[in-house]
Amino acid sequence: MVNKTNPENPIPENPIIKNATCTFCGCVCDDVDLTVDTEAKRIIKAKGACAIGKAWFLEHGVEDRPQALIDGCHASMDEAVEEASQILANAHYPLIYGLSDTTTEAQRQVVGIADIIGGTIDTTSSVCHGPSGMAFQGVGESTATLGEIKNRADLVIFWGANPAESHPRHFARYSVTPKGRDIPNRKKDRTIVMVDVRRTPSTKASDIFLQVKHGSDFEVLWTLRALVRGRKVDPAIEARCGVPLAELEDLAERMKKCRYGVMFFGMGLTMTRGRHFNTSALMSLGTDLNKHTHFVVIAMRGHGNVTGADSVLSWQTGYPFGVNFSLGYPRFNPGEFTSVDLLSRGEADAAMIVASDPASNMPKAAIERLQNIPVIALDPKTTATTKLARVSFTTAPYGISTGGTVYRMDNVPIPLRKALDSPFPSDETVIRAIRKRVTELTADREPITGDLSAKVPA
Amino acid sequence: MVLDLKLRTQLDIPLEAGIISPDRLAGLTESEIARVPLIHGNRKKSLGDFFDISGTCDGEIRLVGDFTKVKSVGSGMTGGRIIIEGNSGMHLGCAMSGGEIAVEGDAGDWTGAEMSGGRIVIKGNAGHMVGGAYRGGHMGLQGGEIIVHGNTGNEAGNSMRNGLIVIMGNSGDFTGANMFSGTIIVFGELGIRTGASMKRGSIISMRHADLLPTFTYSCFYHPSFLRLYLRRLRDMGISIDDAQIEGGYHRWCGDSMELNRGEVLLFSGSPGS
Repeated sequence: MVNKTNPENPIPENPIIKNATCTFCGCVCDDVDLTVDTEAKRIIKAKGACAIGKAWFLEHGVEDRPQALIDGCHASMDEAVEEASQILANAHYPLIYGLSDTTTEAQRQVVGIADIIGGTIDTTSSVCHGPSGMAFQGVGESTATLGEIKNRADLVIFWGANPAESHPRHFARYSVTPKGRDIPNRKKDRTIVMVDVRRTPSTKASDIFLQVKHGSDFEVLWTLRALVRGRKVDPAIEARCGVPLAELEDLAERMKKCRYGVMFFGMGLTMTRGRHFNTSALMSLGTDLNKHTHFVVIAMRGHGNVTGADSVLSWQTGYPFGVNFSLGYPRFNPGEFTSVDLLSRGEADAAMIVASDPASNMPKAAIERLQNIPVIALDPKTTATTKLARVSFTTAPYGISTGGTVYRMDNVPIPLRKALDSPFPSDETVIRAIRKRVTELTADREPITGDLSAKVPA
Repeated sequence: MVLDLKLRTQLDIPLEAGIISPDRLAGLTESEIARVPLIHGNRKKSLGDFFDISGTCDGEIRLVGDFTKVKSVGSGMTGGRIIIEGNSGMHLGCAMSGGEIAVEGDAGDWTGAEMSGGRIVIKGNAGHMVGGAYRGGHMGLQGGEIIVHGNTGNEAGNSMRNGLIVIMGNSGDFTGANMFSGTIIVFGELGIRTGASMKRGSIISMRHADLLPTFTYSCFYHPSFLRLYLRRLRDMGISIDDAQIEGGYHRWCGDSMELNRGEVLLFSGSPGS
């Protein structure tokens, strides 16, 4: 690395950050070499990254943006922190949402704020893999790390997922083409199965493709469970699922006979009719198969640190998403305390959105509520959410301008390497400041205890 | 004497009002009731902040207004009666063990969740998880009756262990999922995936339904226990055809992923067919 201001070394070299971590998707690849143009304050090369990873690194330069805005007007950091803290401290039913694209350290501070203000905290899991979290709780999960999959799995099944477009390096690093300890001949030693409602760019990587009818995943999984247990199934199932029974019987046999099987599942399973029952069925199938061989399931998590958000919330509150503190202790109830429901019913009276853009992807009724309540937004970029926010903070992008920790989709923590100095604070810095001020503002509030018996105050 | 609580304000933020129950308000004067604490969002407030109060409670409470945002009314009640002249909110009568709740309008999600006795009658529609178990909970309805004159959402009777749920309209998906025992009678259309993972118990439908591949056809018969149930419902003023009482039912058993001792009975249309 060369100091450009040093007259003895007038030709600046562009520093290279070795083994940087990409936080675009749940693969969290930690082998990317970044070349930084310090003059232009940009990353100019991301060696080893996939197409979406390159876009992530190359498009996050240091932009000329205000540090903070209040009602669209420039504000100092202190003013914005004060305004945000007042909004949160005065709200009766505040919602904190997002968290999937920030560091674990920042997420931890946000949970603290939710606790202090008696609010609801929810992550983007509630609109992607929340049903997986409910299935973990309901039926349990047999799982593994991606390293183990790479070294051992000889039957790899993708269900309702399209990694070629959503997690481009998944195939090459973990699941299809890498050489593994017990998989010396790469793809030749693996059988790849794809289950989806349509052909996708991922399909060509598969040895077997099952095209199931839309909305029939549960029936297909239930049939496979029955077959794995040796039950007879009526061939009429083809009319419901679109897949001949013989093909399902063949898959069930392959599952039982493999040495080490894995089912990766995506939002094609979690966000279609049946939701947590679909994921529960898949995990139950995985459990059933452990009577025959070793079988695991892994969710194809989308955002860079959405797995961390679930982990931090579980560690801090006991529940992975949709947690409410209004009675002074954490309560979990998807449907009641999940963001889309809370906003669509018009209940939340203030919202803090951290590293997420619900205003461009939530249902209309939820967005309308966001437009009508004070919103605080933290984001490195201008988004539909920062535009409707009363208070917005520009923060440094994680993994590019901040260090920290993120969790890969298999719950392995990965450290981040900072590549580019940013004039903007990290999410964690802003959130710590808000937490400190909110603590002061709520110090006199009467604590709510769980005792709501009809003891009439004197 | 009846205690009248009239909701004075239009609520956006929910009230946690498990306190509205004959067990908890019986014997209190109007001024004492006005000072009873409840939770509005994340702040402690009093009943008198939201309700016009008249009368005292000697076992009966009448609620007037739109209670959609008032949660947990009658939760854990052991006796007495609550009448809601309007819609009710989430968790109505959850974990109650006795008494009766009648709702003139619609009911929210988790109505009668994990209740173990008493009766809830909803004149309108009800939400999801009627008589169900909470997430992470082991058992839903463990006794008592829930009668919904309209439709219900998904997962009615989820993990129920005993008791009766009657749905005069349509039910949503996964009716009776994971049920251990008990009876669900649906007069309208069943949603899909009825009885998934059920262990024991009976789900009765007056319409045809497609069942999961893990249910197998058992027989056609005239279940005598059902006549008792239907006659009792008729005595309660619910309109039941003679054909439904006397007629035959196709019996399917499942779910073979579990004990395979549950049954789904589908009404065949006419006696003896």
